[in-house]
Amino acid sequence: MKKKRRLKAYIQAIATDLLFWIYIFSCLYYLIYNWTGFTANLLFIGLAAVIATPLFLILHASTGYNIFLSTKKKKRWYKTFWTYILILGLIITFIVGINIVEVDFYKFFTKFQNAGGITSGIFDPSIIGYELSPESIQKLSKEDIPPDVFETLKSIQNRKYSTKKVFLSDIENRLGTAKFEIYKSTILKAAVTNTNLLNTALAALAETIFLALLATVFAIPFAFMLSFFAARNLMPKTWLGNIVYVVIRTVATIFRSIEAIVWAIIFSVWVGIGPFAGMLALMIHSIAALTKLYSEQIENIDSGPVEAIKATGASTLQTWIYAVIPQIVSPFLAFTIYRWDINVRMATIVGFVGGGGIGLLLLQQQQLLRWHNVGLLIWLIAFVVWVMDMVSAKVREKLVGM
Amino acid sequence: MKEIIKLTDLHKIYEGGTHALKGINLTVNEGEFLILLGLSGSGKSTLLRCMNRLIEPTSGQIEIDNENVVTAKGKRLRKIRRHIGMIFQQFNLIKNLSALMNVLTGKLGYVSLWHALTFSMHKEDVALALKNLERVGLEVFARNKARNLSGGQQQRVAIARALMQNPRVIFADEPVASLDPATADSVMRYLGELNKKDNITILCSLHFLSLARKYGSRVVALKDGKIVFDGMPKEIDEKKFKDIYGEDAEEVEIR
Repeated sequence: MKKKRRLKAYIQAIATDLLFWIYIFSCLYYLIYNWTGFTANLLFIGLAAVIATPLFLILHASTGYNIFLSTKKKKRWYKTFWTYILILGLIITFIVGINIVEVDFYKFFTKFQNAGGITSGIFDPSIIGYELSPESIQKLSKEDIPPDVFETLKSIQNRKYSTKKVFLSDIENRLGTAKFEIYKSTILKAAVTNTNLLNTALAALAETIFLALLATVFAIPFAFMLSFFAARNLMPKTWLGNIVYVVIRTVATIFRSIEAIVWAIIFSVWVGIGPFAGMLALMIHSIAALTKLYSEQIENIDSGPVEAIKATGASTLQTWIYAVIPQIVSPFLAFTIYRWDINVRMATIVGFVGGGGIGLLLLQQQQLLRWHNVGLLIWLIAFVVWVMDMVSAKVREKLVGM
Repeated sequence: MKEIIKLTDLHKIYEGGTHALKGINLTVNEGEFLILLGLSGSGKSTLLRCMNRLIEPTSGQIEIDNENVVTAKGKRLRKIRRHIGMIFQQFNLIKNLSALMNVLTGKLGYVSLWHALTFSMHKEDVALALKNLERVGLEVFARNKARNLSGGQQQRVAIARALMQNPRVIFADEPVASLDPATADSVMRYLGELNKKDNITILCSLHFLSLARKYGSRVVALKDGKIVFDGMPKEIDEKKFKDIYGEDAEEVEIR
């Protein structure tokens, strides 16, 4: 028995060390290659690791030895050789990390003007758009305007500008500053304002909120039913009960670890780009997440009332209704609202990959480089997320004080 | 004197191997106020819970009101349980429900599943629940949530819930252990009243000898899962007390 354990410890130690050294030599090779362009057969990494492993194991200076095999009293960490090897490993990891991530603080501080478009968009979001409608052109035709200026203005009929500033600067470009200054007030008088984008954005926002809501609501019954079977304390301790518990828990964990954005990609191919795909993605993710949260709540209930209700002669179903459900209603509601809050946030992201709603609109406007429109959308998203966050926090506080 | 509870060679061995009850033989007559004494872990709670099968006994016989409890299953077990009121140290009320609703749960063994599903109750049951709350002096708190009541009040609601079952027997598992001395006495007084006026047999585990002497008509002491004393409360002298609680124990008066 003891021998067997010793053997197991040796195998664990050797495996740990082998992995450790392969990792270290790979990192070193990466750095050398990156700096000098030197290439070598990758087998050498394995060879080096195979040599280093027994060497350091015999010297008792390896990580594996000290974790699995060392029986001696622990020395202070700075007095042992292997901790320095570990620290060296950490430093190498850090250097490799900086290389891989292409950390470049110089760019960070000097290339700020590249973000100028989006920054000005954020500070000047397009709430009111400007355009020259056919009526505007009609009005202008009655004014005393030279034909070349009129033709230029006519050429931009129906073109929608996101802000007054953009509108005016485009006309200035077309007419030249001198002419522009003369006719500026006339043009402005004739131009019509519109809130087309604001309307579109609000509609998309509503789409996002509703798709998040539906995803949450549709997830509730599934998660509610599954959670009872994923609760240890309610499942009988038979092999069937165990299998049901393990299967539901495992599947929920797997589905939860697949990000909603991946589900959105799958469903946007499946049912086509649009809010329905986004809803399905969020729903699948919500079912998995809520099943876990719900079942943990059921596992945390006070077993006292269950015992008391059982003792009155109530049936199992009556016991669940009177002793389990009253205890879980508030936390369930709290978690559901929290989930809705999360879903609204995720719905934006999901929109980027074809899930519809304001995310899709944001992506389109960003690709068209309409930074003022992007600015408006960012403000709207921030506002809604802020409101949802506040409301859900307040409701949760009322319900369970979490 | 009519026998109401009869235990024969009752054993309970838990899954981990703990032998909690080692051959309990006990006969309780109708109308007795029996106090169970003993250290924590001596088997008092296990004994009370075995008697209504909240815990499955390993072997032995349990007879309550001429019904064989050990072999009862499903409906029959529920029928036996509904005549046994139970009161717990932690009150075990459903804290999110009103005091009235908590009392009404005492009738669950009698109502149909449909009534239970819809949380609706018969009018006469509601009237009875209010009457029972009045008996424990809490009719004004009927609509208050259980969580907003004090410990003593919660335990009185639990007594009203037990009364709702129209019980022949009440098991009380350390009903006053989490209450202050004055409240403890008042809760015991209510139990004493049920015993005298309604002729309900009461089995109550306690830690305070003074309360045992005041309310009990008989004392049974457990030690390591065996009965080590069975007699009148006044018979417990210092020697008997040390037999039950160990050499180092000193009796603590609670008033």
